[in-house]
Amino acid sequence: MTIRMLKYELKKVFLKTGSRIAMALLLILMGITCFFAMDVSYVDGEGNSQRGPAAVAQLRAAQKAWSGYLDEEKIRKVIAENLRIRNTPEALSQNIKEMNIAYGWQQGIEGIRDLLNCSYAEGFREHDYYRADSLTEDAASDFYINRTRLLREWLEDEAEDQFSEAEKAYLIRQYENLETPFYYDYMAGWQQLFEFSPTIIMLTMLILGYLVAGIFSNEFTWKCEAVFFSSVYGRNKAVVSKIKAGFWIVTGIYFMSFLFYSGIVLLHLGTDGWNLPVQASWTSWKCFYNITNLQKYFLIGMGGYVGCLFISFLSMLISAKTKSTVTAVMVPVILIFMPSFIANIDSPAANKIIGLLPDQLLQIKMALGFFNLYSIGGRVIGEVSVIMILYGVLTAALVPVLYQVYRRL
Amino acid sequence: MMELKISDLRKEFKDIAAVRNVSYTMSTGVYGLLGVNGAGKTTLMRMLCTLIRPTGGSITWNGRDIFEMDGDYRKLLGYLPQEFGYYPDFTVYDYLMYTASIKGLRPVTARQRTKLLLKQVGMEKAADKKMKKLSGGMKRRVGIAQAMLGNPQILILDEPTAGLDPKERIRFRNLISELSENRLVLLSTHIVSDIAYIANEILLMQDGEIRAAGTAQELIDAMPQQVWSVEAVKEEAASYMKAYKVSNVKAIPGGVSLRVISSEKPAGHAVLETATLEDLFLYYFGEKENDDKDVEV
Ligand SMILES: Nc1ncnc2c1ncn2[C@@H]1O[C@H](COP(=O)(O)OP(=O)(O)O)[C@@H](O)[C@H]1O
Ligand SMILES: [Mg+2]
Repeated sequence: MTIRMLKYELKKVFLKTGSRIAMALLLILMGITCFFAMDVSYVDGEGNSQRGPAAVAQLRAAQKAWSGYLDEEKIRKVIAENLRIRNTPEALSQNIKEMNIAYGWQQGIEGIRDLLNCSYAEGFREHDYYRADSLTEDAASDFYINRTRLLREWLEDEAEDQFSEAEKAYLIRQYENLETPFYYDYMAGWQQLFEFSPTIIMLTMLILGYLVAGIFSNEFTWKCEAVFFSSVYGRNKAVVSKIKAGFWIVTGIYFMSFLFYSGIVLLHLGTDGWNLPVQASWTSWKCFYNITNLQKYFLIGMGGYVGCLFISFLSMLISAKTKSTVTAVMVPVILIFMPSFIANIDSPAANKIIGLLPDQLLQIKMALGFFNLYSIGGRVIGEVSVIMILYGVLTAALVPVLYQVYRRL
Repeated sequence: MMELKISDLRKEFKDIAAVRNVSYTMSTGVYGLLGVNGAGKTTLMRMLCTLIRPTGGSITWNGRDIFEMDGDYRKLLGYLPQEFGYYPDFTVYDYLMYTASIKGLRPVTARQRTKLLLKQVGMEKAADKKMKKLSGGMKRRVGIAQAMLGNPQILILDEPTAGLDPKERIRFRNLISELSENRLVLLSTHIVSDIAYIANEILLMQDGEIRAAGTAQELIDAMPQQVWSVEAVKEEAASYMKAYKVSNVKAIPGGVSLRVISSEKPAGHAVLETATLEDLFLYYFGEKENDDKDVEV
């Protein structure tokens, strides 16, 4: 019985021309995003950029040559190799072609070189792309120490008022808890996957928002509500079927699109590096969450899912309450685009609030990089953990509200 | 036992009292709810279908409050709303099968009832057509079929013939009278002929109240004024129409023949006529039915 109702609720959604167009649009946009995510280049011995599977294989081989524990000895070698390349005639040349050739040699160590730039930076928030070039091999022993040192300096100085003592201690502890030396490997698959994950998730959310916005209000726009509500199940099971339809649409389409995206990217670029700490990527060098790439992948995937569920259910609630599909469609749009306007206010207090907005779930990749901490019951918790739990609970709480709002006379 | 009892029922919308103190008891049979637009028919029916809550009073089915009965009451109900909406992309068959599912019909029963009703309303051939592709009359037939899916004890039809052409309307009337056996059918209309022959009881509704109720004959017998036919020259017609309620004007050789409603003889040569429901309608509502297509049936 309920299965039949669910089937027809899904039909109501997917038979609409608009829904079909939306699905087609999602496919196209996903294709484009996948294209960009898969687009990795390799500079060959002649200084020419190459793309495609062959380039991936070459890049992979070049970086694999430097894989292994990133200990002092390895750092020394990387510093030396970088200096060696730096001092070749090609690198010193002003000719673009020659410089490209030099860059080509650098590709194997490029990821580690980026980490050097981070580790030996002037300050916690400084970044100098050429910092690695002025290092000497003797500096190698400071590679991991610098990370915590820069954090400490920042916390004592610039960021002094931003954190409580407990929060500062928490950050330092997290930094110290990172196991070093860590392993280093080729991991372009994960890096590219993470890079475009917010795009894919937000696109999916916008399409989902469009699909679910009408589930409740369309009974009214189609003038079907009289028959619906005067039927036996009109104020109970049929309403539950609508909620279930919303849930399955979000779940089905979200995972289809996220898994399709990850599958394509990883298939093309490889799953190497799944077990590396996220800090092995220079963009996450400062991350205080001690997780691996695979764990980050799960966080991004689950965060996106919880976020899409919450936003979709909120949109459905608005749809049920206002009986207007247009208003309901606006919900995801506002929730996704509004925060990026207010995010320009650079105040720690504002950041704490912005950090709790549901759009953060759709971009866990960014959220993992924010130093947003919340003290709950004497414990310090990072933003990502807070929003995952918060919105998981809120979504669950929305369900009975949605049910009551729609069935009420 | 079958007893739908309305007591002191009221419904107010902001400043409008759409239904005022309606009390009426119905059991098996066809009840015709007759009234002009805005009389409160739809509001009354929506309350009977538990779609809106009354401001005051009660509706009980066999002694139990229908709002408290909840699903148990809706199980007995078939409803064709005045504005019958549909899922535009559903086929007729899907529409009926879905509606059957929210009406709690088991799959086997749902298929049987759907097939049977499609046949009964003459829509078998259109079963796979999309709802949005149907003509107005066809949609209405699906509407009736939908209302009948659960084999309801209470069938509420809100202006089921509105907007149909005269031929369709007659077919519809026959269909309704076929379907009305052994159930309580409440049918609203602002067209007398819709219910003149099929309603066992007629309720005249005006300004939210039931002004009079009973069988057609009872209502006619109880009409406080008489109906007269008066022959007059054309020039006199206007003054009659000003002075009396005139239910019909017919051209005859040498002038016109008027049907005048009046408690006394409007003219020396006036002839007493047998009153009809149309006369009654005019008497109570002071205006003619506004759907002129159907006056002469
Ligand atoms: N939802 C509503 N809000 C405000 N007024 C309403 C509403 N529904 C009906 N009315 C008013 O109640 C009166 C009775 O309307 P209705 O029940 O539709 O009459 P009928 O069906 O006899 O034409 C009308 O004056 C109408 O404008
Ligand atoms: Mg009406």
